[in-house]
Amino acid sequence: MQQLLTIKLRHFLPNKTVTFPAFIFAVIALMAAMSSTKEPSGLDTSSLEKPRKDSIESVKAFMQVYQVLMSPRCMNCHPSGDVPLQGEDSHLHAMQPQRGKDGRGLYAMKCANCHQAANTPGLHMPPGNPNWHMPPADMKMVFQGRTPHQLAKQLIHPAQNGHKSREQLLAHAADALVIASWNPGEGRTPPPLSQEEFAKAWVKWIKKGAYAPAEK
Amino acid sequence: MITLSVNKKTYQLDVDPNMPLLWAIRDVIGLTGTKYGCGAAQCGACMVHLNGEAVFSCVTPVSRAVGQQVITIEGLSAGNDHPLQLAWQELDVPQCGYCHSGQLMSAAVLLRENPNPTDEDIDQAMAGNICRCGTYSRIRKAIHHAAELQKNGK
Amino acid sequence: MPTNSLSRRKFLQLSSLSGTALCLGYYFPLSADAAQILNASAEAAETEIELNAWISINTSGKVTIFSHRAEMGQGAFQAIPQIVAEELAVVLKEVNILFAPGDNRKYGSQITGGSSTVRSSYKNLLKLGATAREMLTEAASTKWGVSKTDCYAEAGHIIHRPTGRKFHYGELVVEASKLKVPENITLKPRSAYQLIGKPLKRQDTPLKTNGAAIFGLDKRIPGMLYASVERNPRLRGKVKSFDDTAARKVPGVKDVFLVKMKVFNTDREGIAVVANSTWAAFQGRKALKVEWDDSGFEHVNSEDIFRQHKEILETREGISFRKTGDPDPILKQGGQKIDALYQTPYQAHACMEPLNCIAHYQGDKLEIWGPIQGPDWVQDYLSEEMGLKRENVIVNMTFLGGGFGRKAFMDYPYEATLISKQIGGPVQVVWTREDDLNQGPFRPGVSYRCEGMVANGEISAFKVRMAGQNIDHFSDDKRGEANSSATEGFLESYFAHLKNVSFADVPFETPIPIMWWRSVYASTNGFAFESFLDELALAAGKDPLEFRRVHLQEERLQQLINKLEAVSGWKSRKKNEGYGTAITECFGSYAGYVVKVSRNAENKVQIDQVWAVMDCGWYVNPDTIRAQVEGSVIMALGAATIHEVTFKDGLAEANNFYTYHMPRITDAPLVEIHVMENEADAGGVGEPGLPPFAPALTNAIFDLTGKRIRNLPFDLTSV
Repeated sequence: MQQLLTIKLRHFLPNKTVTFPAFIFAVIALMAAMSSTKEPSGLDTSSLEKPRKDSIESVKAFMQVYQVLMSPRCMNCHPSGDVPLQGEDSHLHAMQPQRGKDGRGLYAMKCANCHQAANTPGLHMPPGNPNWHMPPADMKMVFQGRTPHQLAKQLIHPAQNGHKSREQLLAHAADALVIASWNPGEGRTPPPLSQEEFAKAWVKWIKKGAYAPAEK
Repeated sequence: MITLSVNKKTYQLDVDPNMPLLWAIRDVIGLTGTKYGCGAAQCGACMVHLNGEAVFSCVTPVSRAVGQQVITIEGLSAGNDHPLQLAWQELDVPQCGYCHSGQLMSAAVLLRENPNPTDEDIDQAMAGNICRCGTYSRIRKAIHHAAELQKNGK
Repeated sequence: MPTNSLSRRKFLQLSSLSGTALCLGYYFPLSADAAQILNASAEAAETEIELNAWISINTSGKVTIFSHRAEMGQGAFQAIPQIVAEELAVVLKEVNILFAPGDNRKYGSQITGGSSTVRSSYKNLLKLGATAREMLTEAASTKWGVSKTDCYAEAGHIIHRPTGRKFHYGELVVEASKLKVPENITLKPRSAYQLIGKPLKRQDTPLKTNGAAIFGLDKRIPGMLYASVERNPRLRGKVKSFDDTAARKVPGVKDVFLVKMKVFNTDREGIAVVANSTWAAFQGRKALKVEWDDSGFEHVNSEDIFRQHKEILETREGISFRKTGDPDPILKQGGQKIDALYQTPYQAHACMEPLNCIAHYQGDKLEIWGPIQGPDWVQDYLSEEMGLKRENVIVNMTFLGGGFGRKAFMDYPYEATLISKQIGGPVQVVWTREDDLNQGPFRPGVSYRCEGMVANGEISAFKVRMAGQNIDHFSDDKRGEANSSATEGFLESYFAHLKNVSFADVPFETPIPIMWWRSVYASTNGFAFESFLDELALAAGKDPLEFRRVHLQEERLQQLINKLEAVSGWKSRKKNEGYGTAITECFGSYAGYVVKVSRNAENKVQIDQVWAVMDCGWYVNPDTIRAQVEGSVIMALGAATIHEVTFKDGLAEANNFYTYHMPRITDAPLVEIHVMENEADAGGVGEPGLPPFAPALTNAIFDLTGKRIRNLPFDLTSV
């Protein structure tokens, strides 16, 4: 699965020597809410260039972001169905816990019944975080099966991104549950980029205009 | 020292805060109704209620339970007469019985949050509890029966 | 009290607590006719008569019935007292039920296996209850000075019919115990049964709904420590060296040492970590640094095993096990011949209660407590291994959190004994789930080459060769013989009809430890035989159920087939529905299934319903039969469609439920169960319902999809 994903991504990933007319024509309008220049707290963006729209750079950055979001560490809790995924191969969670209304499970199968505040030590043991949950039922924020184009559009659309403003979206890279992906517990591979690289690409994608890659 | 409230009784335990709640309950407090099945939150034999939620005690550090209310199978009812216990007895649900402490603790959360569960609700609620004897069809029937008992105020 | 060789002083102490007791029992290995009832009171105990007791009644009237077999879910704890209470005329829920300790001189075989609890002992248990009742009746009639025929027993009392006077049993037990044991006891006709045959509530259920039932892992002994053993994960591997520095620093760890024992004809070596809690022992194990010695044996791989099976089945005839006529010449002729290879995987027992055992070794004495299927076997084995007198090895059964054959082996009580001896005190040795799944012993994976021919709508030749490890090889002298279970699961009635049939075993050896697994070889044989029967039926252009009706002429099977046909709507099946059937026989009972499948909205195969018909002859409790069939369906479904143990480089790849997945409630199909009524002797109940499920399912899938499944397990969602 992991390998397959990498191969597929090669089609999307911009290569230095290639130009991107398709991307340019495919630019999407930036949401009004995202025009604010206020920096989110807790995110060091001082090294980044000043916000300036640049669809090529933005799309390029998003393709890095996409690799991370589609990795098991992110996608497993953003499934297309109502049961989270598990493992490096993103199979259905064995005991089929349900999303529940608030994304925290149902009845005796609530996320926190197994997922502790921290990773439980040992191979195959439940990873943990104090805020372990899935997106809620009214805002599923599905990653599984989304193309880069679809996912980018979804991420910037407040009706699909959890009503996040641009600031909130920028801040999301520093969310504790997102960061937990880089401390996945024994036997699990972290996302393909480092946390810093991811944060950088994330911010860059948004600040350069939050463009979506072309629909294939 | 760790202070725990289990079945409304207070215990002082001199244990590693990382010790799973399961072993604190079984080996230190001495309540053996809560079972060890897998140690990896896979089977549900170890379920207890922590502030009313059915936690898998084999992966729950005892420190998480400090200052919280822990209820084990021994504390589900005073007289073995929770509607679920009565239904389990009426339908003779258990075979070997080893998993049923967990099954009952799991079902108790379901019935509290959904007094009139469908088969689908039951499947969703109970999928965390493995029964090697295969008593699943009776578990379904007994939960429906318990829902009736609960409605009738038993 | 039924303890043998009670000293007078001890007995009097007990008597002062519970009053004088009447104890009755059989010497069991004898046949029912020759069975000799012994009785004893305080006087008898003085003479040191060895008591062999199932029943004890004290002077206050309290009746205790001993279960000599293990309770692992199958209902022995209910069945044995239900049988005794019927003839003894006592109220079951007022009876105290205790597990008898291991002692086959007293109780006969106590091994809870082969679905034998009821079928091997019910006639004796009935007679035992009736004899006690007769003696109590006689004591009452003598006391009253009335005719015995005017007295009858009911609910723990003897009642004088003309006057309505009554004594409770406790008032009669002293006199009764002095009477000569009557011969020629008349047993109740089945029509008069008040308990037997009724779906009475299990006596152990209330204990299992509030945590009160004591399983092996729940037993506590004063001063007991906990231990866990880091064994070489590679089957039959040894320890080269280990560093316990860090393990000894784990808080609570008391001791760390090497344990060596003989098991499965080889050495098993591991490092025992002894601690003051189970968790500390587990933590200690994790802190160990061990260098394993993996040399000197074959590092097996699953693919190699099944490839070798195939090779030897293609090239060798094997050792003939049973043969009628000769299928070979017929198979060489032209005609409708089928030659198919069926393969079934290795499986783990995966009892919900992981293995555990308490041992307290005290020099000249050893006491064991645990979830044990064969307490008498453990007694015999440990007394021999430890050089102790048999009577000084006391083996106490607890409730078992599942058994399925695994807890019939003596390795874990033996290991606990060695650890107790080393530390000089009582210890509970706990296996982790990982130990439980990857150390074995396992159900052997077996391959079958099935060749058959049909002519004129019937089978003209039927030839089966099996290749797989042979459990008989626990005894070395069985090597060179065919697997004695080569036809297990195959209906005997087929032999009466088939003219040319042969079964052979092509010997196959590999160092994987193996063991009985619920329904044993019937669980794998049944899949091959009954799938192949289906293939032959279809080759003959016959309806599979009708085909079986032609080949199974025995009256009970004709009835069973009629029942299956009627309840399942076999003949009125609709389009887009697949129906499959299978019937097997093992442990004295017949079980037949019809499974109905269809495709759901996502075009995946789903099981719509299962119909089961069980014919186990005389039976105790129809609800227990239903429960056992319900459970058998789930266990068979798991083994057919969800899990298997595979091996890689000598390691079992099953590790915990995340690699050895279990059926969950979401997998449980709708099952309708029918129990046949007839006059036949009792058959088994715990196992016979398992073997026919998988072939009935795959036969149904063939009916729906045209796809023949010959290898288990298969993924139901991707058919």
